[in-house]
Amino acid sequence: MSNSTKSKVIFDRVSKSFDKRGEELCVLEDINLEVQEGEFICLLGPSGCGKSTMLNIAGGFERPDTGSVTIDGVEIVEPSDKRVFVFQEYGIFPWASVWDNVCLGLRKVPRAERDRVAQETIDLVGLTGFEKAYPMELSGGMKQRVEVARALAVKPDVIFMDEPFGALDSLTRLTMRSELIRIWKQEKPTILFVTHDVDESIQLADRIVVLSSRPGRIAAIIDVDLAHPRDLASEQYSKIKGELYELLGVKDWG
Amino acid sequence: MNILPFAAILVSIVTIAKLRRYTTVLLPLAVTTIGVGLWQIACDYWLSETNPSPMETLLAIFEIHENGRLWSDAAASLFRVTWGFFLAAAVGIPLGLWVGWTTRGFEALNPIIQALRPISPIAWIPFAILWFGIGDGAGIFLIFYASFFPITVGTMAAVRNISMVHQRSAMNFGLHGIELFRRVVFPAALPQIITSLRIALGVAWLVIVAAEMVGMDSGLGYLINDARNMGRRYDLVAATMVIIGAIGVVLDLLIRRLENFDEVRWGYVKR
Ligand SMILES: Nc1ncnc2c1ncn2[C@@H]1O[C@H](COP(=O)(O)OP(=O)(O)OP(=O)(O)O)[C@@H](O)[C@H]1O
Ligand SMILES: [Mg+2]
Repeated sequence: MSNSTKSKVIFDRVSKSFDKRGEELCVLEDINLEVQEGEFICLLGPSGCGKSTMLNIAGGFERPDTGSVTIDGVEIVEPSDKRVFVFQEYGIFPWASVWDNVCLGLRKVPRAERDRVAQETIDLVGLTGFEKAYPMELSGGMKQRVEVARALAVKPDVIFMDEPFGALDSLTRLTMRSELIRIWKQEKPTILFVTHDVDESIQLADRIVVLSSRPGRIAAIIDVDLAHPRDLASEQYSKIKGELYELLGVKDWG
Repeated sequence: MNILPFAAILVSIVTIAKLRRYTTVLLPLAVTTIGVGLWQIACDYWLSETNPSPMETLLAIFEIHENGRLWSDAAASLFRVTWGFFLAAAVGIPLGLWVGWTTRGFEALNPIIQALRPISPIAWIPFAILWFGIGDGAGIFLIFYASFFPITVGTMAAVRNISMVHQRSAMNFGLHGIELFRRVVFPAALPQIITSLRIALGVAWLVIVAAEMVGMDSGLGYLINDARNMGRRYDLVAATMVIIGAIGVVLDLLIRRLENFDEVRWGYVKR
């Protein structure tokens, strides 16, 4: 899995409005962003500021009103298994076993190769032994692991994650974050990760893109120059945290 | 004075009161005993002679078992229900999948389906007889009609309820055409399809009895009519009713077994 092609995602003057009962609701305004190959980007912003919309446009599920998103210079007009989503709600299929879910994107791969890749990916996300289980029999964290495995199995250029750990309890979330970093370091895909959790963004991202709401604009881009695993008690960490809270307009964050 | 029903009711009430853990067998059995006991008491004290008692009903069941009417008429009813139901499923499920998935199919067919749906299958009996004559053909047609709408509308609704994330997952991994239906649309809709099959089979069993009472010369519905007309044998009427109920329960139990497969169990757990 080490030779997957890396990509550069470019948002070029992207704007998007929705029609809200006759009124025009401007959700994204003039978004410009360049994501480097293999970079881990977090989109951080308050609820309803357009994070999911931004990801949906990059994934090809929605079209921008103006501007464009390109990956390796090619404009995105429809979804493709070169760029895979991990959804905010569980996107894996409850009617299929873990194994069949992970194999979803491997339909055209020859049998032997498919079995090898599926097993490797399931091992990678730590679900060895659960191949035959159905999602119903798994915990929330395990379900999200299946979804991450389903995405990784096709060796995508870019992975879009829309608050993938939002439904999990805080302890499971912490584990999932470090697991994700471990997997990302091994596979090095480009990741765009949406969250409204400040700590989550500092723990994960190379760069944090802070969005303001109504209309959604890029308020700032913060570099997180800390090596993994990150020391949550370090001075730099709390400095970045303070900066982010200030950008989000929260005063007494402790 | 017949004290047996009073004793039976008393024993049942004591049993219910003493039950520590409510078992799935003992509790309904005790409640049924109370019901039968009350029926017996009603026969002893209030109802006229014409009304059959529980025991007379039981004897009447033996009678139609002995003379073969029970089996030939039950077979006739089940034959019509089976054919009508399977034909309806064979047409209704694919149609419902297609109409539910394509906007154009939905716009074209939904109004007609909704307009035909409220017409009781019973209202079609004259035409059924006109087209197919008295006999199995008319029965199968009516059952087809009666089960077709629950199945088609249920399947359609199931498909239209497929969650956005699952649709997007399918798009994301490039599923098209037959593969899209086989891997996503059909399995996603299947739990609700099974529920609509269950409803349809229940309706079919209700309708066949009514249809046989009005326009057929065999089947359990016909047996009821026959028993009433030939010497007002209400014990035979009650016996047939008990059999109809029992077969209905068995049919439902059989179709519910479909709900236990791994591929559909997710659709029935409470979330
Ligand atoms: N299809 C749509 N039609 C109309 N309005 C929409 C549509 N999708 C999103 N919106 C609106 O756009 C705004 C941004 O939505 P979006 O889902 O991108 O927010 P978000 O930042 O992901 O929020 P959250 O953190 O709560 O998930 C919201 O106000 C929402 O009501
Ligand atoms: Mg969102």
